Amino acid sequence: MNGPPDDVDLSRVWISVAAQVWRRQPGWLERTAGRLLRSPGLARALLTTPSLLLPWLLTSIVVLAAGAAATTGSGQPVVALLAPAMAAAAIAYSYGPGMDPAWELSCSMAVSDRMVLLVRALAVFAVNAVLGLAASVASVVSVSGPGGGAAAAVTFGWLIPMTAVCAFALAVATVARSASAGAAAGVGAWLITVLCGQVASGHFSAAVSDTVLFLPYLAIGAGCAAVAVYATRIPRGTL
Amino acid sequence: MNVEISDLTRRFGRHQAVAEVSLQAGPGVLGLLGPNGAGKTTLLRMMATVIPPTTGHLRLLGRDPGAYGPRREVRRRLGYLPQNLGYYPGFTVAEFVEYFALLKEMPAARVPAAVATAVERVDLSGKARAKLRTLSGGMLRRVGIAQAIVNEPELLLLDEPTAGLDPEQRVHFRTLLRELGQRATVVVSTHLVEDVGAACSQVALMDQGKIVFVGTPGELTARGTEHGTGDAPLERGYTAVLAAARA
Repeated sequence: MNGPPDDVDLSRVWISVAAQVWRRQPGWLERTAGRLLRSPGLARALLTTPSLLLPWLLTSIVVLAAGAAATTGSGQPVVALLAPAMAAAAIAYSYGPGMDPAWELSCSMAVSDRMVLLVRALAVFAVNAVLGLAASVASVVSVSGPGGGAAAAVTFGWLIPMTAVCAFALAVATVARSASAGAAAGVGAWLITVLCGQVASGHFSAAVSDTVLFLPYLAIGAGCAAVAVYATRIPRGTL
Repeated sequence: MNVEISDLTRRFGRHQAVAEVSLQAGPGVLGLLGPNGAGKTTLLRMMATVIPPTTGHLRLLGRDPGAYGPRREVRRRLGYLPQNLGYYPGFTVAEFVEYFALLKEMPAARVPAAVATAVERVDLSGKARAKLRTLSGGMLRRVGIAQAIVNEPELLLLDEPTAGLDPEQRVHFRTLLRELGQRATVVVSTHLVEDVGAACSQVALMDQGKIVFVGTPGELTARGTEHGTGDAPLERGYTAVLAAARA
């Protein structure tokens, strides 16, 4: 049997073959996220924890149900008021050397680990908001009486403001180039919103119960997401 | 110089882990030697931009990592193997290396070939599609080295890279180190003096947070000709310098 020609670099050939064989094909969701976020790394990081998907979905359903029950039973949107602050605290405590096995390594990466965290949080809230909206439509259509609007109240009064707060935090983080600044801005903005609601209407729950605010929340969320996407864009020709 | 450190100090509460360290390093392999608790890992973590210094100045690849933009530039050109490599057990070897290649903002089109090259260089081609949870400790160490070199870093920081490697792999790794040191600055923290003797062009010895010796392995060996204790010449130099620093 003849050997390869002298001008063939077998090592290079092997690397080319191995690269193709081992190559992972990103799914449509990862490709879309990569285009939206302008960062394949951020998209990969966003979708890299499939083992957490089922627990997250189950938790979301339980929390949505508990929120609906609490709102309907007490008549006070206590859960909705506390949720954004609780979410911020949960995010803060879900991150660190005790939670992420590759935390130390992630801290030395060009794609900021905290940015990954913020984008993941925003994605979770946004999907939850969509789920809540779907539940709202279903409950209004299928349930008559006061219970019919419970899911809608939870969605509009809780998830949408929470999504807006997180989007705002992400936008500040990207513009200020500091995730800490973003997190502080998000929590601060929510406190100001709640206090302003109280001053304007005389009751604490205005920030989550005043329907006039829901459209601005959505607009803020969309606007801040656009700012974050713009700020993290990769200039043409650099990739 | 790719690494310029002056009067660098890092405190954790009242404990001073690194005390007014000054060091410079260009292309080549710098061995960071010292006993346990000498401050090697803390110094390496500061150089890897994982933790900021308490005081002092640090310039990496001609940039100030204290600012966001330059830090991001440094991180794109950095390879880092931490002392304790955390990993996602469900990832395959190739997926793990690819994940960190993307987080280093390598151009996506270049990633598959870079992953294949890195996996090949650490001699893990046969395990490229194996889940990390199925690998031995030595193999995981090699996966860690693969992710560190996947972006062909200009600055490579390795904390105890040979821990858990069998003798054959250690010899292979030292060869790889020498190759990498020809165009990059490689800093290797270790307490194994034989690694330094075999692969490093420069050596810095740390004790109690301070650098007590900088020179070539030959110069360190020369320090132990009269007073050092140990089985190998470099070990005698190591113990002699430590004894002098503590006297």
